[in-house]
Amino acid sequence: MNTPVSAGNTAHGPERSRLSRMASDPKIRGLVAQAIVGILIVLAGYYLVTQTIYNMEKRGLTAGFDFLSTTAGFSIGFFLIDYEPTDTFGRVFLVGVVNTLFVSIIAIIFATIFGFIMGVARLSHNWLIARIAAVYVEVIRNTPLLLQIFVWYLGVFTLLPPPKQSFELVFGVFVLNNRGFYSTAPVTGELFWITGIAIIAGLALTVMFRRSAKAQQEATGEAPKWAWKALLVLVAAPLAVFVLTGAPLSWEIPTLKGFNYQGGWAVPPPFLALLIALTAYTSAFIAEIVRAGIQSVGKGQTEAALSLGLPRRRVLKLVVIPQAMRAIIPPLISQYLNIVKNSSLAVAIAYPDLVGLWMQTSLNQAGRAIEIVATTMLFYMTVSLSISALLNIYNKRVQLQER
Amino acid sequence: MSDTHSETDLAKAGATQDAEPFNPKAARPPPGLSVGPLAWMKQNLFATWLDTVITIICAVIIFMLARHLITWGIVDSVWDAANRRECMNKSPEGACWAGPRLWFHQFIYGLYNVDERWRVNIGFFVLVAWMVPLFLSRITVKLPTAIGLVMTYPLFASYLFYGGEKGIAWTIISALGIACFIWAMINALMEVFASKPLGKLLEDRFGMVTVKSRAIVFLALWAAATVVWSGVEFEVVRTVRWGGLFVTLVVAGIGITFALPSGIILALGRRSQLPLIRIVCVCFIEVFRSVPLITVLFMATTMVPLFLPEGVTFDKLLRAIIAVCLFAAAYMAEVVRGGLQSIPRGQYEAAAAMGLGYWRTTGLIIMPQALKLMIPNILSNFIGLFKDTTLVAIIGLFDLLGMVQAMSEATDWIGLVDEPYLFAAAVYFVGCFAMSRYARHLENKLSTEHR
Repeated sequence: MNTPVSAGNTAHGPERSRLSRMASDPKIRGLVAQAIVGILIVLAGYYLVTQTIYNMEKRGLTAGFDFLSTTAGFSIGFFLIDYEPTDTFGRVFLVGVVNTLFVSIIAIIFATIFGFIMGVARLSHNWLIARIAAVYVEVIRNTPLLLQIFVWYLGVFTLLPPPKQSFELVFGVFVLNNRGFYSTAPVTGELFWITGIAIIAGLALTVMFRRSAKAQQEATGEAPKWAWKALLVLVAAPLAVFVLTGAPLSWEIPTLKGFNYQGGWAVPPPFLALLIALTAYTSAFIAEIVRAGIQSVGKGQTEAALSLGLPRRRVLKLVVIPQAMRAIIPPLISQYLNIVKNSSLAVAIAYPDLVGLWMQTSLNQAGRAIEIVATTMLFYMTVSLSISALLNIYNKRVQLQER
Repeated sequence: MSDTHSETDLAKAGATQDAEPFNPKAARPPPGLSVGPLAWMKQNLFATWLDTVITIICAVIIFMLARHLITWGIVDSVWDAANRRECMNKSPEGACWAGPRLWFHQFIYGLYNVDERWRVNIGFFVLVAWMVPLFLSRITVKLPTAIGLVMTYPLFASYLFYGGEKGIAWTIISALGIACFIWAMINALMEVFASKPLGKLLEDRFGMVTVKSRAIVFLALWAAATVVWSGVEFEVVRTVRWGGLFVTLVVAGIGITFALPSGIILALGRRSQLPLIRIVCVCFIEVFRSVPLITVLFMATTMVPLFLPEGVTFDKLLRAIIAVCLFAAAYMAEVVRGGLQSIPRGQYEAAAAMGLGYWRTTGLIIMPQALKLMIPNILSNFIGLFKDTTLVAIIGLFDLLGMVQAMSEATDWIGLVDEPYLFAAAVYFVGCFAMSRYARHLENKLSTEHR
């Protein structure tokens, strides 16, 4: 590559100066461009830093993370890890992170289930069901999430009856009123850990059974029946252990005491509104992903499998779903990421998530704008980067399977 | 079926050697229940007993919902009342559409001065009129119109909406928008009625060199527009008074106009061979894509004042717009990158073989193809941005959602939630649904053109 260019240059030698030759060299051009960008970034950074320091000094603001260990002094409406107003700002951050992850994970579970149902329903042979699913998807996808959150919160959950006239669902196992949703909670006894171990052992054994059954099928072509074994180790054995250890589990039922329900698990109305809105919104997107994924499997695949004599159920299980999943999982995971990000809209209805607790309340109390904004963004970036790392691992595995 | 029949009949007729003239039999009727609405219903609604049960349950639910909605929203509704109490007195069970009706103008314009609302309307109609030529197939000069729209409409519109005293420089700059608009309109009319673009017409008539003649006419137009424009002065309408759908469109519009060029730059930077530029672009894109928009908005409201020199203050709307622009640019960069990746390597290699450098390869070969493929994705990105602008309501701006929220908290209408929110939902739905349908239509059209 280089020789003909230099030969050309020597031919034009006297006409082209050294400078113009350098100017047309892509390497030097690249270096110059990078140098210019680098200098601009350094200048901009220098300006921002000095200006910010100047402005902060002027306003008497201090910087640093020492505020993390000072007392926060405000109370929080809903927390999963213990919190008192005397706790530190560092604790507030943790409460916010846990609250954000809690609502996100539950929304991810529900949205996945509901999204798959809706996606399959859109492809239903029943015209009415397909239409209903299509209308659902279009209406939900084409209205802003924040608006939906407001509608659920203001239009549904704040209009529920007060505690005295609560809805008691499933014979009082669940209670719903304008203070929130209450669920009966299991209280584990002292010896419950033995049952826990039994369940884990059962799971491990089931995985082993499945593996050996598969290996046997691949070796001999005969599929051994292992469902009864799994049932034994997964249900019967833990149950026996549970009874033998004296059934160390009791139920705490929410009961009306004074003005409100006490006992069991409780979540406030903003949580419910956020959860339902996030679930509905994301499930509409997941439904589209699922539909596209199923449609991406060629019709020939189904026909070929049927002509091999596979029953319809196994065609779905062995041919269509594995191929559809390859198209479904990457966008599905980015929807999970969207749930985590969208859960930040909680701030609009005062569910104490990370943004509400940290970027709003704590920022107003402690005033450390830069530190607080940076830590919040760092949290979301950590989540996002770890999810995309997962996605990359999955993509690599799928690619390997292709060849 | 009938085809094969007539063929066999024909064969028979051939075999019997025209003993009888050929008389085609009338086609047999289809077997029972294979065509017609009843058959359709059997196939699509009542195929199995399970289907039948589900269909009936769904139909009953839909019927009850519809009946409830009609009685609530139409039959029992109140359209004329001064406040919520009056609504309740007239019809306690029905919808109170009187509220959204009275607040309709606030939903559209916010608190924009009542006497000045025509300016918003004019701005909107100019925008629509400017966009119409882009959708007409008869018009050939589309790219210059589009570039003129994107580059100069904001100049003109920002003065139109904000008003105030404009110096000489600002007069000349915002007059550029007017000149471009007039040019685009005349051009469109010429193309529709004389089927010739304006530049070509000028060339035919005056025989000047095309570029020069266009430039002279355009400069004259610009000068005239400046002279007329300098005599016009509007009252200042501060951005705190801006609101409603108007602000939603302003934020989304500026966001997308900024996002497209900066997204292209970022995407090119991300694919660049130069490590420093690549790292900078990757960092920008990944940071803004991995954090929620609301954190960017909070950052803009709390941190931007710390970055600015003394005496310089940005108002809230501008800060929100900056945040939305940064956010939209990062997302657009990924759309552009997707488009660039869909261009096969052969295109780059062919361009290199022709001796084109980086900029000419990108500008003449890659971008035109990639941009065309990206149009549907750009549109769906815009839909997302249009929905995301509702977040500015959280930081205290009164966009459509913020206005609706304000109404349901206003003393006269306190607690009225369903009706105003339904109105807002309908507005967003119509906008987003229309755009998504258009994007799908474009996708089909472009993909067939490509094959």
